[in-house]
Parts: sequence; structure tokens; C-alpha cells
Amino acid sequence: MNTIIIDGLSFALPLFIMAIGGIYCERSGITNLAIEGLQGFGAFCGALFAVCIAQYFAGNSPIPFYLAMLFAFLGGMLFSLLHAMLCIKFKANQVISGVVINILAMALTEFMTKQINASIFGAASNKFVLGVSARITVPVLSQIPVLGAVFTNLYPFEIVIAVIAVIAWYVLYKTRFGLHLRACGDNPHAVDAAGIEVSRVRLIAVMASGALSGLGGICFAYSISANFSSNIYSGYGYLAIAALIFGNWKIMPTLGACLLFGFARSGGYELVKILEMPSSYQDLVMVLPYVLTLLMLIFFSKKNHSPKALGEIYDKGAR
Amino acid sequence: MKKNKNGIIHKVILQTIGHEKRQHYMIPVFTILLSLIFGAIVIALLGSNPFKAYYNLLQGSGLAPKASYAGHKGIITDFTSFLNALTPMLFAALAVLIALKAGLFNIGVSGQMLAAGFTATVLIGYSTLPAIVAKPLVVLIGFVIGALAGAVVGFLKHRFNINEVVSTIMFNYIFQYVVSFLINTFYVDPVSRQSKNVGASGRLTLVDVVIGDYKMDIPLGILLAAVGIAVTAFIMNKTILGFEIKAVGSSMRAAEYAGIQVGRTRVLAMMLSGGFAGLAGVTYYMGYFASIQPKVLVSTGYDAIAVALLGNSSPIGIIFSSFLITVISKGSTYMNSASGVQAEIASAITGIILLFSACGAYVKYKVNRWKEDN
Repeated sequence: MNTIIIDGLSFALPLFIMAIGGIYCERSGITNLAIEGLQGFGAFCGALFAVCIAQYFAGNSPIPFYLAMLFAFLGGMLFSLLHAMLCIKFKANQVISGVVINILAMALTEFMTKQINASIFGAASNKFVLGVSARITVPVLSQIPVLGAVFTNLYPFEIVIAVIAVIAWYVLYKTRFGLHLRACGDNPHAVDAAGIEVSRVRLIAVMASGALSGLGGICFAYSISANFSSNIYSGYGYLAIAALIFGNWKIMPTLGACLLFGFARSGGYELVKILEMPSSYQDLVMVLPYVLTLLMLIFFSKKNHSPKALGEIYDKGAR
Repeated sequence: MKKNKNGIIHKVILQTIGHEKRQHYMIPVFTILLSLIFGAIVIALLGSNPFKAYYNLLQGSGLAPKASYAGHKGIITDFTSFLNALTPMLFAALAVLIALKAGLFNIGVSGQMLAAGFTATVLIGYSTLPAIVAKPLVVLIGFVIGALAGAVVGFLKHRFNINEVVSTIMFNYIFQYVVSFLINTFYVDPVSRQSKNVGASGRLTLVDVVIGDYKMDIPLGILLAAVGIAVTAFIMNKTILGFEIKAVGSSMRAAEYAGIQVGRTRVLAMMLSGGFAGLAGVTYYMGYFASIQPKVLVSTGYDAIAVALLGNSSPIGIIFSSFLITVISKGSTYMNSASGVQAEIASAITGIILLFSACGAYVKYKVNRWKEDN
């Protein structure tokens, strides 16, 4: 039971932070299929920085990890500017822009990883080895029955994500800027009429999305794969998109969706272990989160609706 | 304005892409040229000769002669092998295109390909049916399974308002894991760690056919793809169904008021889309390749989204865009060995082409503004 909660959370939270980024972007009216590429590029930047500075720190020092998170955050933000430029300045089709960013991110990071490994570290390798981040257990809280598992064997990034998620929730729902952002996705003309620049709000939203995606990406690199390689592009970004649409473009329901993915996944693995099935059955159990989601969607989708102006290019002149 | 400074460039641009009637194909050509120039600069900065690298791409795709060939190989064998790779891309792009026309976004082409390819592999690929029966059956099964997978997505959208982006992503994962489980449990080849190779009778590509001095792979699917494009163009432009699909895609409300059954049209569009995805699947897994790698979803389905949009979402347009993208991806291996330019650069160039093409609307807007200024 404890393992289910521990592993489930460590999968769900990075997914959640990427989905929050997606919510920011889509609530401002910009379709974001680019999460997959953004998280990969962010993770690449973080991982690159971590391996560059690794020699200055002791092997078990957590500082490279925190710096990697920071650089993943910045790297994702930087790369998302491309999406912003295409969608806002060049009025490109937002879907094609998202797909392009995924393709570019994949090609660029794979190429640069090889190139940098060969030229700087003198090794022919297509990955940056990071290792798994250390885990912490909160002293008193972890003694609570059942719920204590939430505070046991935590990755430090889970705390960071929780803090950022709370801030993101506050900004989106309780501040003036959040209101503007949500209005941009539903009725950009009204926002414009109120004297607020739509493109500026959208730019910030896209950048937030890139930054949070990058953060999510580096967390996966430091937990599941323990390195940066093309393995990072195994669909986490698409899963985050699914979670946010499932969550009806709202933060709290999206958290629910992410937790569902996380717990169903870790629960499935646990089931295989308990029943002592051969490891190929893992694949079958991995279907669980997705089947569950589809079933839940059948019951909860009736009231689902996307932001009204989602995917529309904002044109001041159009009425 | 800076107009006078670069007056000649202005004039040339206006002459070539300023004409309203030619813009729908001149602008994509213009953006592709621009991105090829950009890609050339990148290759030059990396220290290779861009012209040679581009020529290598053509050589690798069998569109230009190589300096030397291995035994029984020649430009024609490279070209048929290129067509072999082109076929699934054409079908996948058609699948994306039809869904797009109906205002739906089929991101699950890869999953539908896998489902159809796997079913056909198991039912026909491992059987001992003679080729004359097996091949049509493979095509039929591919289309039907794909269409079913698409229809489910359309139905979920219509009946339960489930966003097709989510449901197709979910189905991608479901197909991926279920197929991987089945392959690893029943059909795995212990050496290659992939599914066992399908027999030659069911395969849609004739392998190692000896013609003259050459041994070549002949993709039968390419003919099917040509038919598919023609049929799609016909359905879209000449039939009621095509009109209804386009009407639903451009405005659901208006279509509803006009008495079009939106739900039915959407399900039908998704069925067609899935069907073509299924054909992409059988031509990929039982043509271009003969086995399935477990736990891997091919990128064709995602690339096809870009290809369809690059091709202006028109059946004729995707012929050119698929051609271009496949030349780059297929030729990249040879470019890597001949010029030492890494294969990843090829996908980066693909990305840049798509990126520039995405700005087509902006180019059009700018050019038309210039025209008004003059």
C-alpha cells in the first residue's frame, strides 16, 4: 500500500506540474501540443548543466539537482518562446506549431547530446547520466497511519512541485492577472477592449507553460530514467495534455486526473509483484490507467468544454 | 519605409508570390525554399558542404545516382525502397487530413496503425494462405480494424462528448501496451526481440524481386495509396458526404441548422480516417517492415499531422509534402555515411521546414500588405 502511494505520487506530481503549465497556456487561448517537446528540452538543459558542474560537487550533494531544476525551468521557458513567437507574432496554426516544436526538440536535443558528449566529455554516448535524486522522509508526519506514506521516501522535487502548484493555483484564480489570462481564452476582444494587451498575457502564459513543462521533464529524468536520453520522449507530455482536458482545464480536477494516472500505474506494478506474474504482464497492467480514464470520461465528459477562444488566432480587426 | 532599399528583392517576391491565384501553392514553395536555405546554413556552420549533403539526401532516396553500388543494387532499387517508406506516410497523412476536414484532430494514427498492423500480422501474416488470397485480406483487415478504432473515437466524441485528443492518446497507450504484451507472450522472436517475421505471401511489399541485374523491393501499397488519394479527393470534392464533412468541420452549428447530422458525419469521418490509418499500419508493419517492435509507437502518426498541414490539408498537396519529408528522412542515413552530417540534422531540417511553413499565413499577410503599399 505504501509503495503504491509513494511511487504513485512521484509519477503524478511531475505530470501535474506539466499539466498546470498546459492549463495556463490553453486558458489563455493558445493550444499547447508542445508540452512533450518542451519538457524534453527543459530536461536537456537541466541535465546538461548538472553534468557540467557535477565535478565541482561531492557525489551525494543535492545542489546540482536543484540547479538542474532551475535550468530546466529556464530552458523550457526559452524554448517555449518559439511557440509563442509562432502562435502570437506569426499567427501560425497552433497545432502545427506544437507538433513542430516536438519534432525540433527531439532532433535538437538528441543531436546536441551526442555532439556535446563527443566534443566535451570525449565519450560516444547519447545520454547524460544523472542518477536518482536522494529521497527524504519527513520525521513526525510519516508516522501517521496510511497517510504517512505521503511523507515517506519523498523526492525533494515533490515538495518543490507542491509549492509551485499552490502558487500557480493562487495566481490563476485569485489574482487580477489570472482573471485576465482566463478571459483571454474565452473572450480576447473583451480583454482588449478593457485595455489589456492580449498578446502580452498570452506570451506570459506560454512562457509559464514552457517553464513548468521543463521542470516536470527534469523530475522524470531524475526519478524514472536516472539519465537524460531520448527516452524522455515517451509520451509524458501527451499524458499531461490528456490529464488537463480530463480535468476540464481546471487545476484541482487535473490534480485528480494526475493522481489517478499515478496510482493506477503504481498499483498495477504492485499487483504484478504480489500475484508473482511474469514481468511481461506488466504491460497488460500498464493499460489500467488509460482504460480507467476512458471509463471515467464516459461519466464526466458531458459538462466538459474547452476555453471558447482556444486555438483561434487573435485578430484585433475581426469582429 | 525601407521599401526603396531592397526594391529588387521586393519586386522579385511580389512577382513570384504576390499573385493571388498562385499564392496557395507559391507560398508553401517559397517557405520550403527559405527553410532549405536556412538548413544549408546550419550544415555549413557544422563544417560540411550543404550542397553535397542535400545531394546525398536525393541519392539516398534513389532520386540521384550514387558513386558506387553494392551488388544487385542500383538507383532503381533505392527508389523502390524509397516508395516503400513513402506509402505508410501517404496513408497516415490521408488519415489526419480527413479528420481535420471534419474539425477533428486524430492524434492516434500511430495507435490505429499498430492495432491494424498487429491484427493483420496475427490473422494473415502467420497463416499459410496463398498470396492471391492473403494480400487482399491483409488490406481488408487493415482497413476494417483501423476504421473500427476510428469509429469508437468518433462515437465517444458524439455520444459522451469525450474530446478526441484525449481518447486517441489513451487508445495509443492501450494499443501499445496490449500489443506489446501479446507479442512478448505469444509471438516473440527470441533473437530479434520483435514479433516473428510475417510470411512472404501476406506481405504487401514483394521482397528481393530479381529484375534484370537488380534485386529490389516492390511496394504494392503505393498503388493502393494512389487510389486512396484519388478516392479521398473524390469524396471530399464530389460527394454529399464530403460536403457534409467539410460543413461540420468549418462550423458545427451552421451544419446542424442546415440539417446535417453532425454526430453521424463525425463518426463516418473518423471511420474513414481510422481506415486509412489502418492501411498505413499494414503497409508499415507488413510491407516496409515485416515485424513489430513491442512497446514502440512509430512516429509516423505524429509526423503525418505535420505532413497533412504542410500539404495545405489537400489530398494533392500531401503527395508533395509526404514526398519531401520522406526524402529527407529516408536519405538521412546515406547523408550520414557519405558526408558525415548526423542523421538528427535531417529531422531538424524537417522541423525547420514545418516551422517556416507554419508561418505561411503571415507571409501571405505581409506580401499582400506590400502589394497594397505599392
